[in-house]
Amino acid sequence: MNKELEHQFVTELESNQNIVHKVCTLYTSNREAHNDLFQEITIQLWKAYPKFRGESKFSTWMYRVALNTAITLYRKSKRSVQTQDYESVIFKIKADEYDATEEEQLQLMYKAIRQLGDIDKALVFLFLENKSYSEISETLGISEVNARVKMNRVKTKLRTILNP
Amino acid sequence: MMDELELLKRDWQKREEQLPRLSYGDIYQMLWKKSSSIVKWILIISLLEFALPHLLYLIPGVSESFETYEKLGIKRVSTLIWIGSYLVTFYFIYQFYKRYREISTLDDAKKLMQKIIRTRRTVKHYVIFSLSMLFLTCIVIMIGIYFNDNLMAAFPAASDAKRNMSPEKFKSLMLMVMGVCSVGMIVLMGAVYFLLYGLLLKKLKRNYKELERLEV
Repeated sequence: MNKELEHQFVTELESNQNIVHKVCTLYTSNREAHNDLFQEITIQLWKAYPKFRGESKFSTWMYRVALNTAITLYRKSKRSVQTQDYESVIFKIKADEYDATEEEQLQLMYKAIRQLGDIDKALVFLFLENKSYSEISETLGISEVNARVKMNRVKTKLRTILNP
Repeated sequence: MMDELELLKRDWQKREEQLPRLSYGDIYQMLWKKSSSIVKWILIISLLEFALPHLLYLIPGVSESFETYEKLGIKRVSTLIWIGSYLVTFYFIYQFYKRYREISTLDDAKKLMQKIIRTRRTVKHYVIFSLSMLFLTCIVIMIGIYFNDNLMAAFPAASDAKRNMSPEKFKSLMLMVMGVCSVGMIVLMGAVYFLLYGLLLKKLKRNYKELERLEV
């Protein structure tokens, strides 16, 4: 029984691992941290797996657990890791932005996203993943209206960062 | 702006191809890295176990037992035993911490297996050590009672019993009581250890077995 569950879990995680990798990419900045977060998410998923009864899609459930884990860890490390001042980031990006090529501009946007708060980051992530508002609200456990409002705020925030 | 975000979305989805890819085996092994959290619990429990008795001393009444030790004339011996056992307990806690650090940073299943064995061994030694220290303390107290000539003064609380009893009889009664208490305490502590560490060790062992199967 347990073996079977394990096999099932690992198989599903293996085929959906991109989701976890993407969360790791967004929430960490180096390879080592990426791997650590991946492992932590795997363990959290495995712990929660017996409670997952297929009420939602496996991938939706994965988004939720992966983001929760990343957000929790991010909060924990926030105290010890030096975070860059939001204003200084805006300023720097504004200054850098002038004759940016498309690739450079994308890099700037990723950089801006990395500087967002943990929840905002999760929202942008789900937006990038092309999720509908109903999926976003289900994943983050907020109402659809709230998801829309928050998303618009994040978009505005990004807009101010990118378009001075 | 919307265009930029759409551009970003497209780029993000394109990047999917560059993501790292883990194999079934890689992911499977991650499940067994749980060992580090078990070792963490061993560390926490050993620390608690070390700290809790000290809180007991804050309760008035417990500190009175020190006076009893003094009257029994075993204060020096028991202080020595305590200092010794503190040092050794510190050593064990340090060992647990080291195992925890080692296990939580390992990637290799084979090394993890070795560390699990070592952790299990350390825990066993720790339990044996703690129980024998308890045993030793009880023996020292009993010896103190046996060689004490003015036993009645050492146990002022037992005043009712004293009146109807000759000192010899009181001494043998105290020895008996102490003996029974010692056995009871050691059995009780043994049971607690068995439950606490036994369960954790069993989990570790299960992880070990899984890793072993994975390696073959």
